[in-house]
Amino acid sequence: MPEDARVINIVEAIRESLAEELARDPRVVLLGEDIGQLGGVFRATDGLITRFGADRVIDMPMSELGIVGVAVGLAMRGMRPIAEIQFADFIHAATDHLIGEASKISYRSAGDWKCPLVVRTAYGGGLRGGPYHSQSVEAYYTHVPGLKVVAPSFPADAKGLLAASVLDPNPVLFLEHKAIYRSVMGVVPEGYYLDELGTARRVRGGDSITVLAWGAMLHESLAAAEMLAATGIECDVIDLRTLAPVDKAAIIESVRATRALCVVHEDTRTMGFGAELVAMVSEWCLDDLRYPPLRITTPDVGGIPVADSLEDAVLPRRELIASEVSRSMSRMPRSSQGSRFDAAIPVATSVVSVRMPEAHLERVLAAIEEACEAFPECNAEFTWAGIRYHPTVKIDLDLGSRSPGSTSGTVTVSDYGADATVLGLPAVRRGQTAAFRIGAVRSGSALLALSVDHRAVDGGAAGRFLELVKTKVEQ
Amino acid sequence: VTSEPRSVENPSGESVDPWIAYRSMLLARRLDDEMWRLARAGQAHFAVPCAGHEAVAAGYALALRRGHDFVAPHYRDLAAMLVLGLTPRDVMLHFFARDADPCSRGRQPYAHWGSARWRIVTLQGPQPNHVSHGVGIAWGSRLLGEDSVTWISFGDGGAQKGEVHEAMNIAAIHRLPCVFFVETNGYTQSVPLSLESSQPDIVARAGAYSMPGWTVDGLDVQAVYRVSVDAVAYARSGAGPCLVEAKCYRYRPNTSNDDDSRYRSASEVEIWRALDPVLKARAVLPLADAIEVEHQVQLLVTDAVEWAQAQPSPDPSTVMEHTYA
Repeated sequence: MPEDARVINIVEAIRESLAEELARDPRVVLLGEDIGQLGGVFRATDGLITRFGADRVIDMPMSELGIVGVAVGLAMRGMRPIAEIQFADFIHAATDHLIGEASKISYRSAGDWKCPLVVRTAYGGGLRGGPYHSQSVEAYYTHVPGLKVVAPSFPADAKGLLAASVLDPNPVLFLEHKAIYRSVMGVVPEGYYLDELGTARRVRGGDSITVLAWGAMLHESLAAAEMLAATGIECDVIDLRTLAPVDKAAIIESVRATRALCVVHEDTRTMGFGAELVAMVSEWCLDDLRYPPLRITTPDVGGIPVADSLEDAVLPRRELIASEVSRSMSRMPRSSQGSRFDAAIPVATSVVSVRMPEAHLERVLAAIEEACEAFPECNAEFTWAGIRYHPTVKIDLDLGSRSPGSTSGTVTVSDYGADATVLGLPAVRRGQTAAFRIGAVRSGSALLALSVDHRAVDGGAAGRFLELVKTKVEQ
Repeated sequence: VTSEPRSVENPSGESVDPWIAYRSMLLARRLDDEMWRLARAGQAHFAVPCAGHEAVAAGYALALRRGHDFVAPHYRDLAAMLVLGLTPRDVMLHFFARDADPCSRGRQPYAHWGSARWRIVTLQGPQPNHVSHGVGIAWGSRLLGEDSVTWISFGDGGAQKGEVHEAMNIAAIHRLPCVFFVETNGYTQSVPLSLESSQPDIVARAGAYSMPGWTVDGLDVQAVYRVSVDAVAYARSGAGPCLVEAKCYRYRPNTSNDDDSRYRSASEVEIWRALDPVLKARAVLPLADAIEVEHQVQLLVTDAVEWAQAQPSPDPSTVMEHTYA
């Protein structure tokens, strides 16, 4: 951090942005309840009426519908209104003008009219506000084409994204989580700058699981990631920053790398924005997921309750996030090679008895390598786009407790030696279609089992492949 | 055939050129007749009759500065749209939802007006949300230092919504240059005024917002024009908003999907038909002038219907366009 770096909180960053907007563009006006003399109930507009006058920082009556409806008109007239709805819980009264009007003005007039409106509102719980001062409202508005929804988590983002929202020709709902207004500090550049709407940012790198969050939950997720790191789980934490349009590319890229997904949001569960994120990941990279996607949310409770004990019982906190992620990822054993297995692979297994000398391993490996040339589908990978044949044969030799062997091969052979049972059925690893397991040698013979990915190799071919290996071993 | 209306400058006198008044109203009435016939014949989706509201709409529009003052119109204001800049061809393109529909390019049903060029504010479905928009536009005009007035029309049904209170209160607090114009035809689709409003005279609300209010016979175009000139002058002066209530009657059902026989009698409609504002406007013209107007209007209407119906529908590949600006 440079020595002169200036650290401020989110509400200060927003106030600074509003002041810069008022100074930069005479078309910018602020309107809302208590934003003038009082400076806003959270002080986001503190001092602005003194600097810019009551014509541009306008105290409005308790008329949420009127505030947003009039702001829509100002925007259509070519102004750049920034309306404040004191609490997101009160924005429902103005929904008609956001969902029914602002979002549709461009479309319904085929671009003849535009609505460059920003509506700021304080949302979220954690401050013992009760059912009407704690709601998260993003899901209602991310559903609406034509509206943009922004939800910053850091002071510098709040400033740059607010500037971008004012410049955007579309209506933008700018969601400010009230619980982090002052608790989250950060370096914020002085002067006007623009961030980019629709872009997410990785705020912590990791390869175990992708965690998507915004607002206060982003910070709880970061704390949870810290706790999980101590147990060897590294979270790839993505701050979505803009929910509509959401940064699909960044989400897919992260999930493809970690192959696990967790969404954390403070809104209630059913039809929350997490449902859309999970659906999106399912559509784009379901095959990459090693675990069912995880949603950590407030339960479908009738309201955010005020009593300490009750509110704490419903809002997701770092401990819950850490334990849920940990529990989710332990549903399947995570051995060093655990990620090589895929429960989705439908396996067919065949077994033959093979005459085996005492030192038979090299013979068996050579026989398999040779037989693969005649059965290329057994040295391949199934993908929904088609079978991908591996150009060469490379055997992952799994010697059990003696050596688990490599995991980068194209076919797997397990030989547990003295630990071997008479018959063991091998699992097929991700990226392969065939796995062998050599049973314990009894009276000069052993059972050799072959499992194949049934989507790539049919039972008859597997049987012939196994017979060929047997012939070669017994030669 | 030219479809441009005659130039309409704001006269300083107390009456509007009766030739222009009759022509504007008749053009709306004849287009309305055609649209009703076409919708009933299944050749269009939806008709929204204006019959009975011609004097109301033409009267106020003739009092405005076209292309300078803003109008957030009522959906029955076809006569005003024609005075303010939309041509009969424009209206029929909108009616048939053609690609060249200047109001919405086939995105909105008929009577959802809009034209940035003519300062006609794009109109939504739920009535009367445009009242708030009109107040915002008036506020913007003042902040931008322009002396344009915003005319906000809505029905007696729409006037019952909480939206209207909030908008009128805000406009009055800030003395914004707008006119609230209620077109009282006595029905909200089927519900009579007695079940819409505890106060039969909506103009009575003006006092609650410390603004002047006028009532006018909405079947008399000259009367509507005169009160509109006064209302516009008041708003333009910076004194603040005002309220005008024009009493009129709707001759046809609410829309082509309505059956008015379920809620009003034919004899009631006949009584009001005898007071037809278009016939009243005709009566003050020399017969030769009236016939000349009727001839011109018939040519315009025939041309507009035939031409617009032959225009292409929007290309489906453009359906997503303008979702975002």
